[in-house]
Amino acid sequence: MNPIIEMVDVWKSYDGVQALRGLNLYVQRGEIFGLIGPNGAGKTTTLKIIVGLLKMDRGVVRVNGVDIGEEPYEYKRIIGYVPESVSLPDYLTVEEFLMYSGKIKEVPNEKIRERMNYFISLFELREKRRALIVSLSRGMRQKVAIASALIHDPYLLILDEPFIGIDPVGQHILKELFNERVDEGKTVLISTHMLDTAERICSRVAIIYRGQNIASGNLEDLKQISRSGENATLEEVFLKLTEEAREQPVEETVEKKRSIFGFPRRGVS
Amino acid sequence: MRLNIILSLYKFKIKSFFGAFRASKANLALLLVYIFSLLPSAFSFSIMIVDAVRQNGVNIETYIEVLSAGLSFLTAFILFLTFRGYTAFEHEQNFVFTSPIKPIEFLIASILADLTTILVFIYPLFAIYTLIVLWLNLPFSSAILILSAMLIFVFLLFLLKSSLSIMMSLQRNLSAKITISAMIFLLLFPSISSALNLPLKYSILPYPSTLLAKILVGEIFGLGFQPLDFLGLSICFLLLASLFTAFSRENFFPLTRRVPFVSPFDASIRMQALKMERSIKIFSRVPMLPTLNLESRSLLAFLMKKELIRMIREGSLFTVIFMYLIISFIAAVISAYSPQDPQSANFQPAVFIMFFLGTYSLIVPLILISNWRISDFENLWVPITSGANMRAIIRALLYDFIMVSSAIPAAIILILAAIYGINPLMALVLVASTSIVGCSVNLYVMIKSLASKRRGVSSALAGWASMLLSALLLTPTYSLIFLSQYLKLSENVHVLFAAVILLHSALVMRVFSGKTEKNIIYLEF
Repeated sequence: MNPIIEMVDVWKSYDGVQALRGLNLYVQRGEIFGLIGPNGAGKTTTLKIIVGLLKMDRGVVRVNGVDIGEEPYEYKRIIGYVPESVSLPDYLTVEEFLMYSGKIKEVPNEKIRERMNYFISLFELREKRRALIVSLSRGMRQKVAIASALIHDPYLLILDEPFIGIDPVGQHILKELFNERVDEGKTVLISTHMLDTAERICSRVAIIYRGQNIASGNLEDLKQISRSGENATLEEVFLKLTEEAREQPVEETVEKKRSIFGFPRRGVS
Repeated sequence: MRLNIILSLYKFKIKSFFGAFRASKANLALLLVYIFSLLPSAFSFSIMIVDAVRQNGVNIETYIEVLSAGLSFLTAFILFLTFRGYTAFEHEQNFVFTSPIKPIEFLIASILADLTTILVFIYPLFAIYTLIVLWLNLPFSSAILILSAMLIFVFLLFLLKSSLSIMMSLQRNLSAKITISAMIFLLLFPSISSALNLPLKYSILPYPSTLLAKILVGEIFGLGFQPLDFLGLSICFLLLASLFTAFSRENFFPLTRRVPFVSPFDASIRMQALKMERSIKIFSRVPMLPTLNLESRSLLAFLMKKELIRMIREGSLFTVIFMYLIISFIAAVISAYSPQDPQSANFQPAVFIMFFLGTYSLIVPLILISNWRISDFENLWVPITSGANMRAIIRALLYDFIMVSSAIPAAIILILAAIYGINPLMALVLVASTSIVGCSVNLYVMIKSLASKRRGVSSALAGWASMLLSALLLTPTYSLIFLSQYLKLSENVHVLFAAVILLHSALVMRVFSGKTEKNIIYLEF
């Protein structure tokens, strides 16, 4: 089965600053895949290129087998996306925004109502359903954005730092939701700084550093790549790999591509 | 007082204000467009003044009275601003006020920075000054005297504003408010008294505004140097400088009121977005009607309703209605005071108001689209990442903008036409054409200016450029409307002209909406 996301030799620069340097990434169907890396490594750029908010300079990106350079619209129908800093129409109520989101994704009205009610209930937004978004806290906005990304029941859910600003109960609900989706054969791609969370919920991770995927796989694979001990945590592995990469000149950073499938369904360890 | 600190603060303030120039080279080009587009007005105004000076038998006292009144209104407005107390931006409160900087250093840097920024906007005044000096062949001493008096007055206003703002911050009590209110009243009273036929005139009062007016009018009309007026203005300046020095010793930093940072050259919309948040909270206090639901007949109808809701809840619709009321009021005043030329014995104020509305409705698309940029542009990630029908989204926006910007003046025109029994066809066509072309061009220029490489272009300058482009594309409309009004043409020709204008406008809309659709998908976030 072909991967849900393939990124081959993807380059992107902003005003002469190279954000991605020939990045390669493969995300399989039915997994929770985590992108981890230090600030400015290129995680958000990678996600934005996949969802069509940024144009790559060169390279190939395929989502569900579709080359997004050649067909840049239709593939988005299977995607639900939540950005890192969520900007929502402040002038709409929670309910109105979810209706808007469903309408533009061409979801039938009955389905919009059904899913809207489900997510409003799941994220405990019942009391706020008719409140303007401008009156919501950051965490509530994040929940509304996630509900909007899920309104059309997408096959591929992409979230940039999904846990920031969300309370522990909300985080727990979200993790359960991710697991449910994977059980249904769908895919979740997240970018996160929270290495302990990534270790617990992701099937596999990719460590992005200086615009390259310096290592990817499950925790066992990463331990092998980094020559870390049996009991090493993802954080230790991450620090070791990024330290090694830092010592090499940018041009010589070798991408340690791994195509290890057959990893455990859930949990890097 | 440390000069190096003042200089650093000054540089920081200037960089904050003009920061967008460093973000995009396009801003410099647009600034040049702004400067050159104001030159013809400065030129015409200078000719008007020079002609007035060369006329025989002019009443100089009237000029002094009018100029004094204008300058007094300006001073009163500055005084009105001091009611808020001393204001500062968030970054100043967080970074400057927490550093070992003395109030006097901050105040001097602020005044110098304000002066520098204001010079950019009032540059036509200097163009007018230079042209008048050259055309009237004024002696060098007069030129220097005029310039010195104007600079003294400007500094005087800054000192007054700073001192009284600090006073208000320090003593937020009734006596401070009464003092400032009394000063405003004294400044404005002579203009009210002339309306009431009372003998109190600006020219007999020793206001700084009157002293400046006497110096300017005296030098321009060649009445010779007026030492007492100049001395009076200098004394006012020295008194305010002493007051400023006294207040600058106070530690007013903890009492400053935070205001959002707004620069017309600011390409970031964060602060404007914060202001918009406040507007939404204010306007959402009124019942939220209509509400969005799933019952719309089509996606286009649903999206149009959503945009209309946005305009209601963020206050755009209110701004447009308010603006048209002001335009109607100005037009009514102008037409009431227009001299009755014997050749235009059939001059009809209603006709004038109708065409005035049509001409000024070019500003409305700019307001609507700027507000959309602030409140909704950052939310475009939702449709873009959803594979949504962007054509429907652009059309919904455009149709709503055109509907809102044309419906209100059209309603006023129809009421006027019904009352006065005038044929409203050409006035309605003017409004429709201005709205269609204005909205299409403004939306395109705004989207184009938001493409990643041009993201640093300030919305004020982009708006200025789009207004000029709209005006250029409206040349056929203006020409045909002009011909229809000044030539005695039959009704059939009017209908033909109306059809041509609407066809031209529809063509412009088609071309620019197509370009907008193409450009919106290349936006990067």
